[in-house]
Amino acid sequence: MTRPARNQRTPAVAPKKGAEARAPRGPRTPVAARLSAWRDQHFYSFFSSLGRLTARPWATALTVLVLGFALALPLLFWLVYANARDLSGGLREAREVTVFLKSSADAKVGEVLAGELRKRADVTDVVLHTPEQGLAEFRQLSGFGEALDALQSNPLPTVLVVTPRESLEADNPALVAELKSDPRVDLVQYDAEWRRKLSGILHFTERVVAVVAALLAFATLLVIGNTVRMDIQARSMEISVMQTIGAGNAFVRRPFLYAGFWYGLFGSLLALLIVVTVEFALADPIGRLLDSYTNRFELHGVGIASILVVVAASGLLGWIGAFIVTTRHLAAGRPR
Amino acid sequence: MIRFDNVSKRYLTGLDALSEVTFDIAAGEMVFVTGHSGAGKSTLLKLISLAERPSRGQVVVNHADLARVRRRGVPQVRRGIGMVFQDHRLLTDRSVFDNVALPLLIAGSSRIETAKRVRAALDKVGLLAREKASPLTLSTGEQQRVGIARAIVAKPSLIIADEPTGNLDPQLSVEIMALFAEFGAVGTTVLIASHDLFLLKRMNKRVLVLDHGRLVDDFRPQGVPA
Repeated sequence: MTRPARNQRTPAVAPKKGAEARAPRGPRTPVAARLSAWRDQHFYSFFSSLGRLTARPWATALTVLVLGFALALPLLFWLVYANARDLSGGLREAREVTVFLKSSADAKVGEVLAGELRKRADVTDVVLHTPEQGLAEFRQLSGFGEALDALQSNPLPTVLVVTPRESLEADNPALVAELKSDPRVDLVQYDAEWRRKLSGILHFTERVVAVVAALLAFATLLVIGNTVRMDIQARSMEISVMQTIGAGNAFVRRPFLYAGFWYGLFGSLLALLIVVTVEFALADPIGRLLDSYTNRFELHGVGIASILVVVAASGLLGWIGAFIVTTRHLAAGRPR
Repeated sequence: MIRFDNVSKRYLTGLDALSEVTFDIAAGEMVFVTGHSGAGKSTLLKLISLAERPSRGQVVVNHADLARVRRRGVPQVRRGIGMVFQDHRLLTDRSVFDNVALPLLIAGSSRIETAKRVRAALDKVGLLAREKASPLTLSTGEQQRVGIARAIVAKPSLIIADEPTGNLDPQLSVEIMALFAEFGAVGTTVLIASHDLFLLKRMNKRVLVLDHGRLVDDFRPQGVPA
């Protein structure tokens, strides 16, 4: 890149001619030409770095494989997490308080209690499930129909499903406490409690994904940095020739930056390929599992946006890794 | 074009490579630097190309005091000098054409201009037909001529060469020197370090003689203006 040589001041010696009052210099070109030259140089580095990678296909493939797997791991983690979060998102809607009445309480008691609860301001809805309804439902869902027929009496209790008002988000709402102390009630199951546990687990998983992703991003940086470092060592002769004939740091650095970028890019593409393969391999069993849960929830894979982010981010990581290494090399091995 | 004013160079090892060297080379002059191994020839050239800095004294190239050129300005200075090396330092992973084009690529010439100049330079050294060849397939003499084409392609006003014929047989050496003399004839300043006394005698040019870092003789043959 031709940049104005800021450091070349007019010498102390009086110049004979103004035009010669500078150190000897190479061809100078106007701004537009310099811009196109800059573009040409980038073009050159872009393709020459790619050519160099393909010239050593095995070494390149190995590096890309390492990067691919390193990047695929956090991606898979993230996918599992994202799906789990969506699954729990559906459950977050569930605010019902399930009230199991004592088996001594008959349907009438249930209706009375349901009536009392409907009058409360903090209750929006109460659904009464009689033991008979419960049995029918169970027979249908569980597939234990014949086994149930063997039962002498219905062992299921009367169940009230109470939907509290939205505002009811306190840890232990008064409604739940009152129901628990009601003599007619055997057991109160409040979904919010295990929902809290679930969101705790999700929060933890999210953090794990973030930490693993950060660690593996760092590993990516190191792998690319190290590969580029070896690249630099193999071409130190070439670098010194270029420096001797007037190449600046930017010119020397550029092909390595592109190499780093390519490593990152190819690594991320391989990672995405791995993820898609894993998705494909698991889609069938997961689909069946979800079907058995009445399929309220749809599994999703990596979207276009995430793909773009991953590819861009790892390309950038490669670029940064290469930048750090080349800068270090240029600072250490610089001919003064 | 080049002025050394009381220049001394002491390396970190304590070696005095140059001691109080003073000389002046006019633009368009062709000058040889000679002396035994370790006399300071290479150091002298390195001070001009800013591969080294003097410990004392002043080096002025083309009216510019090199002491004022800071690190970031060094590449720009080097772009103005055509450098030829004993081992020619060609890049073996690219063609002759790309090797010669390198200084223009660095300087940022347009592609059309680059192609034109590279072919002109290769033509000058008689290797136009080999532009697509790999430097490895060339003979030593041809490789050195590619090195020279690379040095002249950006049309520098100064060419410096460190033992350019060190690896060549006498016949090839004469041919290479004749090439340098041609550039000298068109106004380019040429400074060549060489210990080949036979060649120096034959070229009949000004010779700076170094001995243990001191300039002991500044020989001008008859017919060469002082």
